[in-house]
Amino acid sequence: MGTQVHEIAFTSSHINGMNVHILQTEKFKTTTIVTMIEQELSVETVTKTALLAMVMKRATARFKETKRLREYLDFLYGAIFDVDVTKKGERQILQIYMEVPNEKYLAQASTLLEEAIQFVGDMLTRPCVENGAFLPKYVTQEKETLRKRIESLIDDKMKYANQRVTEEMCKDEPFALLVQGRAEDLPGITGEDLYRHFQEITTSNPINLFVVGDVDEQQVKKAIETHIPLQRNAVKELKATSPVKNVEQERTVVDRLDVSQAKLNIGCRTNIAYKDDDYPALLMYNGILGGFPHSKLFVNVREKASLAYYAVSRLESHKGIMMIMSGIEAKKYDQAVEIIKAQMDLMRQGKITEEELSQTRATLTNQFRELLDSARMMIEYTYNGVVSGRQRPLNELLQAFETVTIDEIKRVADKVQIDMIYLLRDKKGEA
Amino acid sequence: MQTTVFEQVKETVYHETLANGLKVFLVPKQGFSKTYAVFTTRYGSIDSHFRTRSGEEINVPDGIAHFLEHKMFEKKDRDVMHEFSKNGASCNAFTSFNRTAYLFSCTDKLDQNLNLLLDYVQEPYFTDASVEKEKGIIGQEITMYDDNPDWKVYMNLLKAMYQKYPINIEIAGTIETISHITKEYLYQCYETFYHPANMLLLVVGSFDPEAVMKLIQKNQGGKDFPPAPQITRIFPEEPPAPAQHRVEANLAVGLPKCMIGIKEKENGLTAEALLKRDLTTKLLLDIVFGSSSSAYEKLYDSGLITENFDFDYSCEQDYAYSIFGGDTPDPDQLVETIKTIIEEWKQKGIDQDDFERAKRKKIGNFMRGLNSVEFIANQFTQFKFNGNDLFSVVPVLESITREDVEKRMREHFQLDQMAVSIVRSAAQQE
Repeated sequence: MGTQVHEIAFTSSHINGMNVHILQTEKFKTTTIVTMIEQELSVETVTKTALLAMVMKRATARFKETKRLREYLDFLYGAIFDVDVTKKGERQILQIYMEVPNEKYLAQASTLLEEAIQFVGDMLTRPCVENGAFLPKYVTQEKETLRKRIESLIDDKMKYANQRVTEEMCKDEPFALLVQGRAEDLPGITGEDLYRHFQEITTSNPINLFVVGDVDEQQVKKAIETHIPLQRNAVKELKATSPVKNVEQERTVVDRLDVSQAKLNIGCRTNIAYKDDDYPALLMYNGILGGFPHSKLFVNVREKASLAYYAVSRLESHKGIMMIMSGIEAKKYDQAVEIIKAQMDLMRQGKITEEELSQTRATLTNQFRELLDSARMMIEYTYNGVVSGRQRPLNELLQAFETVTIDEIKRVADKVQIDMIYLLRDKKGEA
Repeated sequence: MQTTVFEQVKETVYHETLANGLKVFLVPKQGFSKTYAVFTTRYGSIDSHFRTRSGEEINVPDGIAHFLEHKMFEKKDRDVMHEFSKNGASCNAFTSFNRTAYLFSCTDKLDQNLNLLLDYVQEPYFTDASVEKEKGIIGQEITMYDDNPDWKVYMNLLKAMYQKYPINIEIAGTIETISHITKEYLYQCYETFYHPANMLLLVVGSFDPEAVMKLIQKNQGGKDFPPAPQITRIFPEEPPAPAQHRVEANLAVGLPKCMIGIKEKENGLTAEALLKRDLTTKLLLDIVFGSSSSAYEKLYDSGLITENFDFDYSCEQDYAYSIFGGDTPDPDQLVETIKTIIEEWKQKGIDQDDFERAKRKKIGNFMRGLNSVEFIANQFTQFKFNGNDLFSVVPVLESITREDVEKRMREHFQLDQMAVSIVRSAAQQE
């Protein structure tokens, strides 16, 4: 059945001031190239970076018109290309994503990979700039697009509730920021500001470039060296994200909107992050509590009480926040909160059955093994190691699931505190 | 067991129709870690009017196919989801307009998981109490969709396009319609539509096809089924014209959402002719509205669309429609501009360069899809039910000419077949 890979093993090197990670595999019919530029999440730069991502993808020095740039991507057999921002703890990552078919599966396209790398190089080193500024035409339009994107957060009520509870519970921490930035910053940003910011982050911030596909390592390295000639300074040290926060008092926030279903979000501090030794036990804790259809939340909120269609818990591994989410009838709020808290109490008391433990081990192991089938997920996994400062070999993590004990999970449970209970509900009912 | 090799994409399909009528397809993927299995019945939300096994003609409550899907997971003495969890598998199910699919993915214990999948779907167990309990859960699922503006604008567009054909009905039904569902109805639907002869099993991923086929044969050979029923679905005659040209609804949104649909007048195509129409129309839409088109540039630069502007074509034997749209500050202006764009294209015709580029892009995108076991699993069955092979997409695409697209444009782009659906906040009301 061919060679099965059991570990996510990139070969890393240093080229033109970037950390380059290459993974050669015959599994995929495309080649994926992802560049990550990392910076601190901060009020000063969050909107600028989000806007920069959008302006960058409109044009390069070679393709000054967006239409021409997109025609070129189509010509590269519908290359998938995007520049976007994501949040990892209190870091904002500007990500350039590129994916092209592997030449082996195409009749006539022998230089596709090199052209793709050159295109990434255009983005990083040959932007479309005049008089030290990104073109006003694109800056103005993308400000409008970004403003619309920020305003449209409200369309997806689950995401909206999530952002609202994060904003409230992390009020004085950078983590409260929406990764797309703040609409009120937009008018003050100029094309010059953006270009200065672009230069700053491409010369001084950590840059990691990942390539996954059936490629020749030397050929890829050479193409990167030639086509992405970055001028780099000493790489900036970024402030670490702290997952530790002692909650003095549980708080409650209710928002009202024109909705039928109420969204109940409970934001918790786990005080544990990706790099900590307790992290595998935290994954187990979250899995038993609310990660799967066999978990306590699903069984008790949905199956037994019939209160909801979904009742889950999700981890943000860098900031150490666990979010419990459920869609309920507003009038069932008290009952739902009571059931959820009771499940968390059971976790603290170590009331976890052998079956819950073994099911969670098996499903978590499966979830992590599935990463091996996706280029994007393997990159993401490895990059989590880069950002946190601790690389976790996949096998080490899988091994940890096998050996984690109920006592260790109990110890994790003792650290988890509810910080905020948030309800997004209709405008009609009583408070 | 038969084998079909698709040279260009380097994929091999192993297949067999079992004695009980079940069609089995196996697609091994070299080097992959996970295996994905989907067990699908050709039965969806539109199949609500039919003849039962005894020949009686019945109408069942809207949303019952989806309700039945939920109830398949509950058994007398065990919980199916917990069983899958024990084996480390992740399981799920979904109901669409014309099919219900039960699936799992796993990286271990494939044999146990496959047997579990086949057994739970072939072993209905419904009680009055469990049917009542499910109404609360599905009620919350329905309420969740009610708050989803993207779903609302899409469903409303289908309601506007279709006068009678039941794709104008919510897949999950409404809280009112599901209140009428009983265990007797569930058994009637199950007996009509869940016979192996009406079903297809697909396994994609990391496994030995010989061994897996044997396991499936053994599992199915050990069960008794009555002879396959003759399934008679009764559909209303759908007039060619849309039901309404414009519908509006209010929900809390940042920007108004506007979707435009063009309803196909003539249907009835099957197999390769259907696939060719599907791909030709998708090329057409990409040429006219794709992100490198002049229309996209014009709409985006004028601020009439945002980056979420999208388009698609859906094509089945009985119905077909294209949809395009997204968020816009001015739905009416967007509709007028799109009408003008369509008229202009009909005037000037399809350009050879645009055509070639769209084709290349489509081939590249398809290749990318083949990286994903999920993509293959989800598409393959739909293709089979329509008499096609997923892996034949590339040769069919290659056979399409500029003239085909040109002809398709004149057939499909008919402004009197158009309908518009808008969702905006109450405060954005004109």
